Amino acid sequence: MTGDSTKKIFNKGIWEDNPIVRQIIGICSALAVTNLMLNSLIMGLALTFVTAFSELTVSLIRKYIPKHIRMMVQVLIISVYVIIVDLFLKGYYPEMSRALGPYVGLIITNCIIMGRCEGYAQNNPPFNSFLDGIASGIGYTIILLAISFVRELLGFGTIFGFQVLSDWWTNWTIMVMPPSAFFILGVIVWWARSRYEKEERERRKATS
Amino acid sequence: MINSKNSFVYTILFMILITAFFTFLLAGLNHMTSDAIALNEETDLRSTILYVFDINPNSNDPKIIEETFDKYVESKQIGDETIYYIEKNGEIIAYAFPVNGVALWGSIQAYASVSADFTELLGIDFISHNETPGLGGRITEEWFKEQFRGLDLTKSDNEEYIKYRPAPNGNVDAITGATITSNAVRDIFNENIHEFINKEGGEM
Repeated sequence: MTGDSTKKIFNKGIWEDNPIVRQIIGICSALAVTNLMLNSLIMGLALTFVTAFSELTVSLIRKYIPKHIRMMVQVLIISVYVIIVDLFLKGYYPEMSRALGPYVGLIITNCIIMGRCEGYAQNNPPFNSFLDGIASGIGYTIILLAISFVRELLGFGTIFGFQVLSDWWTNWTIMVMPPSAFFILGVIVWWARSRYEKEERERRKATS
Repeated sequence: MINSKNSFVYTILFMILITAFFTFLLAGLNHMTSDAIALNEETDLRSTILYVFDINPNSNDPKIIEETFDKYVESKQIGDETIYYIEKNGEIIAYAFPVNGVALWGSIQAYASVSADFTELLGIDFISHNETPGLGGRITEEWFKEQFRGLDLTKSDNEEYIKYRPAPNGNVDAITGATITSNAVRDIFNENIHEFINKEGGEM
């Protein structure tokens, strides 16, 4: 299990095993913070940071963690990195901290981190685990940005705060509210799943 | 050694050591960032107070905001609340006081400022709120807050200082699509302004 190549790790994290569309984990925050693209980007970066470093730490000490308390140790490690992110945002990006509000603290409940720590870092060397964290984080961030692109465009007429649709556009209030993310997420999952099936069929055809 | 990894003593020791290590790490980081965080909070409060008094420091630099604040604004303690005021030629001309209440999704903390003779509302600003971004959250937008400058407090009936148009004698526009938040903001300010005038007016 030492030789997962970098390419394979990134392909898995971003596309094949994408946390949101394939594993359907971490969707809470995908609904909550995606009404503005900037919020989504910061949330994605924060999650990538926490996942990567939590996986690195878990992997480094995995041989010393008693098996029956490993979850406790993982939660401890994850919470440490979440607090670091929270302190950093409060100290140096107070506006972002205010915009994300309680969601920064709630990164700890994001299943992606725990899932990757338990499913990957526990059995793989530190460097691969670190890359896996980055890959999963990027996979998550891309989906968040895709959702927030639609929501911000239709809900505010802006992209990253820049006005793109002018006065003729009537903002869709529903896009600003969390439920709209369900519809967009549903469409994205639908699209991704049909792509997976197509790839699967082609692969089977090639082998037979 | 492998066998002892699951032993009771090893487990307890491991947990104590790893918890202690990470706790010290966080304590250190907390200490390093606490100054910056405290400064941010103070700067926030100062710019809010300056905003309700309609004093523009013309800069986002925390140092300049602090200088402007110290130059104009004085504070005093009334009960457990801190009231801010500005003086001109040794006479108090305006007060700013904290306003708290509950809106649609959570509590709102804000400041309001009235002239010293309680005839005029000078301005309002929000410290924190949990309203929906893009809907109720628009209460922090400039156009909404600016409407409250210079409202006449003497012509109100039943302590309804703030009234949304198109009600008769309405003086402020509400936010479209955020009726509950708008109404909550109106009620919170009306209530707190009335309370402040009664309390402060009685003391003088």
